Amino acid sequence: MSLTAALLIASALFGLGLWGALGQQSIVMLLMGIELMINGVMLAGGAMWAYAAGGEPKGQLLVVIAMAVMAVEMAVGFAIVVAVYRARQVDLTEGLDSLAR
Amino acid sequence: MTGVAFWVFGVAAVVAGWRVFRTDSMVRATFLLLASFLNVGAILLLLGGAYLGMALLFMMTVEMTVMVIFMVAFMMNPAGLNPMNMTHQPRLAAVAGWAAFAGGAAVAWRSNFPDRPLPAGKAVIAELGTELMGRSMLMFETAGVALVATMIGAVVLSSRRSRYGQDAGDDGSLPPVLDPATGAYPAGVLPEPEASGHGHHGGHS
Amino acid sequence: MSLHADVWAAPVLAGAVLALGAYVVAVLDVAAAGLVAGTGSRRVLAQPVRNVALLIRQEPTLTERPDRASWVLAPALYAGLAAAGISVVPWSRTFSIADVDTGIVLWGSIEALVVVALFLHGWSANSHQPLLAAYRFVAVGLSYLLLSMFVLIAAAIPAESLQLSRIVESQAGLWNVVRQPLGLPLFAVAALGSTTWGPLNLAAGDDLSGGTTADVSGLPLLVWLGARAAMLTAFAAMGTAVFLGGWHGPLLPDPLWVVLKTVALLAALVASGHLVARVRAERFVTWCWMVLLPLGFADLALAGLQALR
Repeated sequence: MSLTAALLIASALFGLGLWGALGQQSIVMLLMGIELMINGVMLAGGAMWAYAAGGEPKGQLLVVIAMAVMAVEMAVGFAIVVAVYRARQVDLTEGLDSLAR
Repeated sequence: MTGVAFWVFGVAAVVAGWRVFRTDSMVRATFLLLASFLNVGAILLLLGGAYLGMALLFMMTVEMTVMVIFMVAFMMNPAGLNPMNMTHQPRLAAVAGWAAFAGGAAVAWRSNFPDRPLPAGKAVIAELGTELMGRSMLMFETAGVALVATMIGAVVLSSRRSRYGQDAGDDGSLPPVLDPATGAYPAGVLPEPEASGHGHHGGHS
Repeated sequence: MSLHADVWAAPVLAGAVLALGAYVVAVLDVAAAGLVAGTGSRRVLAQPVRNVALLIRQEPTLTERPDRASWVLAPALYAGLAAAGISVVPWSRTFSIADVDTGIVLWGSIEALVVVALFLHGWSANSHQPLLAAYRFVAVGLSYLLLSMFVLIAAAIPAESLQLSRIVESQAGLWNVVRQPLGLPLFAVAALGSTTWGPLNLAAGDDLSGGTTADVSGLPLLVWLGARAAMLTAFAAMGTAVFLGGWHGPLLPDPLWVVLKTVALLAALVASGHLVARVRAERFVTWCWMVLLPLGFADLALAGLQALR
């Protein structure tokens, strides 16, 4: 249970989240990919706090702020899902390119 | 003992995270993500972050409960009774995922992090409390304001009564189709062709 | 400060306490039904045993294409959460099964996971009524979850700790039910909600032909109902620890005081099932967010003001 092991697990979670976020068509599954990424970040932050920062309280603060970020991301993501579903009857990311034109 | 427990939780978190995107049942996907979070929370508890681990367990459970409601409401295959594949750009996604993991693993392996472990007997919960309410009060308050702004924004985005007036949030939206393959609506649901302006793509939302 | 039970003794102890508590809940239920109906109740002590025997003999049904993993997981999770909940309750000034630093937050997690367990139970049957019951319950559950966290944190403020043993110690002079009067009623709402009991019986009620238990029978139903009664016991024990002064009391030994107070609280909770009508889900959700949650804020503010003095 060392810092390297914990950071390895955190990188694995981050990589899995990125794979899911980029590869999924459904907005809700994309949200889950982002959640996994933030999960990895929180684990990495907690591990660094416990092993490399000597229990400095700001390390815990970082993890708490990451949790708040996760809540914000989910709330806005679900509002977007609802708005997209109302307009297109499916919750897919395909065709959401009005800003690209 | 804690070393074994750490690896059990860690591997379980990674496997659950992988299965999230490989399972057909959407409800199972949500709860597999919850399982991944619960394992990370357990690891945080093992590392000594007593409040962090518990708060993670609590918050993630509530978030996944909300997510499962949305899953069943919006996804096409919530129970996984049919196999489905809803991926796009699979190669790019896989390459990006592996690259992220490789980068993180390289940092984890090769970096020389300072070795300052958590001192035993530290009052971590009391320290977190005094830090949140004391020196980092500004950060805490900013997070609070951001959450309030998010709440308002989410309600505005998804409310039927948008800022354009009563029922204007539904402008351009149509009720769900009866048969996704043909796009057929139940009889009497759509307005008559003369009354409606555009077809399905009713303007930009 | 508290003596932790041995790792192997902890589940056995928790299981024994919960089994006894579930039996007490069943007895109280039969007695309350008889009292309220005016018919009196015969064989109050034997009736629960007969019900258990009937359920063991009954054939367990299975629906078409259920989610088998959730079918098994949901009752096990429910029972496990009750066991986790009862283990942090202090039985005397030196003993609790597992006194964690963050007992209050653990209880928040337990209540949240109960919502998950009940949703899985309704989902797993692949049937209409259980799914409707699960959905109704999630709406209600998300409403009272915040409420219970506020009142629990308010109780933690005078103790300046999230640890349950310290919270009980802080009530040496005055019980929390006196200095935070809103706490116990609001916590009772959470208790009734988490066990879908009485007025908040939206997930297992007769209006949905049994709710999430509509397609469950036999041994799985017995495990589910037993876990529900065990969870009610755990909530009552938690309520006595946090609001009714735990093991504080003049003459009798500490654990006996805990048992007496828990049984009293259990009697009140169980009786509410026969005295108060079931709420309507949408009305309760509105009322919870508009009335009860501000009351929870007021409770928290009151506790904070008292601590500042």
